[in-house]
Amino acid sequence: MNRFELLNLLQNTIQDELVICNIGLPSQELYKINDRPNYFYMLGSMGLASSIGLGLSLSVDKNVISIDGDGSVLMNMNTLATIANRAPANYTLLIVDNGSYGSTGDQKTFTNERTSLKDVAIGAGCQNVIECDGSETPSNLKKALGDKNNSYVIISKINTGNVAVKPIPINPITIRDRFRKIIGKVDYLK
Amino acid sequence: MNISKRIISNLKFGGINFFLSVPCKLLSNMIAILEEDKEVFYSAVPREEEGMGICAGAFLGNKLPCIMMQNSGIGNSINAIVSLLQLYQVPVVFLISFRGTPGESVGAQGRMASVTEEILETLKIPMLHCNTERDLDKISTFTNHAKVIEGPVAVLCDFNLMKDD
Repeated sequence: MNRFELLNLLQNTIQDELVICNIGLPSQELYKINDRPNYFYMLGSMGLASSIGLGLSLSVDKNVISIDGDGSVLMNMNTLATIANRAPANYTLLIVDNGSYGSTGDQKTFTNERTSLKDVAIGAGCQNVIECDGSETPSNLKKALGDKNNSYVIISKINTGNVAVKPIPINPITIRDRFRKIIGKVDYLK
Repeated sequence: MNISKRIISNLKFGGINFFLSVPCKLLSNMIAILEEDKEVFYSAVPREEEGMGICAGAFLGNKLPCIMMQNSGIGNSINAIVSLLQLYQVPVVFLISFRGTPGESVGAQGRMASVTEEILETLKIPMLHCNTERDLDKISTFTNHAKVIEGPVAVLCDFNLMKDD
């Protein structure tokens, strides 16, 4: 299973949760599969999908899912310590770990060698860390979303590979405002 | 302590209800105040760039965020400021302890101090300099300015103002 197939598979599990999706091909593939206003597509700031989702989950009651990548988590690894110490129960970090920098030509990441993001997350203090393959990911995500007392870090180990997609044709302010409208507390968007 | 109390009070009056900090000895009183404050969210964060992401998420969730940091934190965060906060027009107040300004005893801080304002100008980030206690009264209006322009603004607190607080 590659990233596109995993994201496609997750469309039955993700309902009205607020999703922050990683920059580049992850967002472009997600857009191609099933564009929804509760999907926030990152167009810059590689590494910060987990952080944006964390800030959001600390500010709303709804479930928040950050869909991140192994390369991006390696770029912002301190995020796992912050998540371990501050993430509320409505927060789930889903790391799509395909061992490569897919958006830049599939160069290998260190998760292909000695680095285990599961071990890093546990070492950082995260309490509910699940490593699984792609086919097991929907059921684990469902479990994380249903648990009202704990946040989760799920590392989905999948194969390298991308599909042909185009840049996201929505401008950033539209992405921002339709997402905030879903949250429903923004006066000027009523 | 009085200056730190006034800064936090003016930020809250301007609408800030979500605070992060990366520590600085000049910010230690403000951090101590926020740790006891039950009206707002406060957390430490390991790195400023990560904090920019958390602030963006908080804004999406209808909070008005402030990140407190040394001026070195701007250097750590430039891409996140431009390709996240400014790209998506996210209001955030940067409360900056301006290390390396006159009064500073650590000489090495002077290098980052000498380029801080130029970096902020290049990024087109409005600046409020707090050199004297009178300047503190401008913070709440300046905080609201971040909301109006939908982007980050920077409050720079000089070393001499903060060192005896």
